[in-house]
Amino acid sequence: MKDTLRWAYGLNQWNFRLDVFVRHEDHRRALQTLAATGFDAVELPSGTGRWDNIARPEVILRNHGTAEAFLEFLRSSGVQQVSSVFWDPSAPAEEEENYAFRFARNPADSDAIVEWSVPIVDFTSAVGAEQLVVRPAHSAWMGAPLAPEEYAVLGALWNRVGRRAADAGVGLALHYDCLSAVHTAEDVERLLDATDPELVGFALDTAELTIGGIDPVAFYEAHADRVTHVHLKDTRHRDAGEEYRMPGAESTMLKGGAGRRIERWFYELGTEGGLVDVAGLVDALRAHDYRGWVVVESDHGGNPAELVMLNSWYLQHELGIAKA
Amino acid sequence: MTWRKWSYMDHWVTETPQGPQPPSFNRAYMDRYIKQLSSLGFTGFDTFFFYLPVYAGMYGSVKRFEEHLQDNGFEKITGIFSAYPSATRWAAPHVRETHDRIVADSESIMRMIEGLSVENFIVMPTSTHWQTEPVTDETIKVVADLWNRVGRMTLQHGIRTTCHFEFWGAIRTREQLETFFEYTDPELVFAFIDTAQHTIAGVDPVQLFREVRDRVTGFHFKDTHDVDRQEQYRTPPDPELQAPYTQRWFYEMGTEGGLVDFPALMREIVASGYDGWLTVEHDKAELGGGSYAEATAVAKHYIDTVLAEAERAARGEATR
Repeated sequence: MKDTLRWAYGLNQWNFRLDVFVRHEDHRRALQTLAATGFDAVELPSGTGRWDNIARPEVILRNHGTAEAFLEFLRSSGVQQVSSVFWDPSAPAEEEENYAFRFARNPADSDAIVEWSVPIVDFTSAVGAEQLVVRPAHSAWMGAPLAPEEYAVLGALWNRVGRRAADAGVGLALHYDCLSAVHTAEDVERLLDATDPELVGFALDTAELTIGGIDPVAFYEAHADRVTHVHLKDTRHRDAGEEYRMPGAESTMLKGGAGRRIERWFYELGTEGGLVDVAGLVDALRAHDYRGWVVVESDHGGNPAELVMLNSWYLQHELGIAKA
Repeated sequence: MTWRKWSYMDHWVTETPQGPQPPSFNRAYMDRYIKQLSSLGFTGFDTFFFYLPVYAGMYGSVKRFEEHLQDNGFEKITGIFSAYPSATRWAAPHVRETHDRIVADSESIMRMIEGLSVENFIVMPTSTHWQTEPVTDETIKVVADLWNRVGRMTLQHGIRTTCHFEFWGAIRTREQLETFFEYTDPELVFAFIDTAQHTIAGVDPVQLFREVRDRVTGFHFKDTHDVDRQEQYRTPPDPELQAPYTQRWFYEMGTEGGLVDFPALMREIVASGYDGWLTVEHDKAELGGGSYAEATAVAKHYIDTVLAEAERAARGEATR
């Protein structure tokens, strides 16, 4: 995309299940699809280990040998760079103490999570990505609400990771998701207040915030100085109240319809009945001279190639951005 | 300058609440499909004659459908495809007694696109080989007579009749093609080169283009992994989906192991001065779990990279 904003695309929509999106040929086809629709930068998804040939650093290196060789693989399929890397330390991974469960809220887990972050930070730096995007807390249904003093624990943890990232020349952005224990606008502000703005930024996800009951444009206007990363996608639904607290919300809410037969939460830009003011957010980003990446996503949405095309169409025809 | 006139042949399957369906499933799916093609940069749209009433119903008229395409970045409907793949007692190009019916059908299609600037009326010149054989000189003469009649009629509507040969059709070899072009009037009947179909039949599409350049009005760019060496083209009732040794014949450009030399064809096209539409076609792309959307994007990436380079090279050679 030829624009003053920098556009990338999230590969998470292809990596929607453990045992798919494994062969290099599958990666090539996805990358070529992105190139043909005007996206020449990608965000790498989080992963668990085996079969994450385009997600987990150690598995990528097992496949390609070096970060430079991996970048060459991307370039040979038309994608020129990695904008960012996503990491969810609350999702178990082989390389993280063999699928250990650790919680960012637990002070006793902080050292381990910082240690886990090292290879992720190093890889993010090695592939020239600007941002490491992390899930800062567990899902709300997994425990009691965060007490005010626990934000200090989260803040200290992410400051430590942010310091390591900064030393490697990488930014750290805390990503909001609609299931997180950090749920309301006040929760997010409390988390941001607990972190050092020099070391930790915020990854604003338009659909996730909207589902969580937060207006992404208003939030951006209020916190533009902390937003260092953007995920752009749409939704047609908001959490009706406490749905994010449903036991097993990843399944019962996001896949199980939240008891009200919602078959799908995330949608492409320009979807009919979309709740996100995409154009409004893009205008606001321009007005604030936003310098970070805008990563278009369409996770859990359907055929990845079809959704990329619709998102590309929206950028070209609704936002007036030239493809190349 | 890279080639601007890329069109897309209207095969596509997408997931709907009622299973995998063509986008003509309903208006919302159709609108999405048009946006998807537009996002890749296609500006021409080729479709089948049987979709014309469907789109007319969906958008108000064929003209309104074309306007919708234009609102989404397309230039126009570029070609209409018509065929009699199965010979019946009512319509079979090799049976002279059915020609009036075929001419009437073709005229009816012309009326459906009256007022548009469609360039090509693309026809399969024959039905299946197994229904037509033995294919004699006289068989080809009868078929040629039909398309001379149809060609004369469509030109009166400003549209060229152009022949798209199948690997399983009755006119498939170099000799049969030569005979057909000899028996048809070059002013009335044109050629449409499908790269995969000819390759499967053992005919080099680049060489064929060289030989019939003056009559070529279009192409289907698609690839194949197989030349039919076992007479699978004679498989009744349908060699495309029931061939005994080949599950899937057609692949998108860029497929590993593809047999068509697209860069060579592109260089030849540029050198020849051809300036018509080039059409991407994916036929049965869903076989083996494929996706039409991804196949189309991969093909467009191939166009934007490999073919753009071939084109640049050819233009450089042409100016030296």
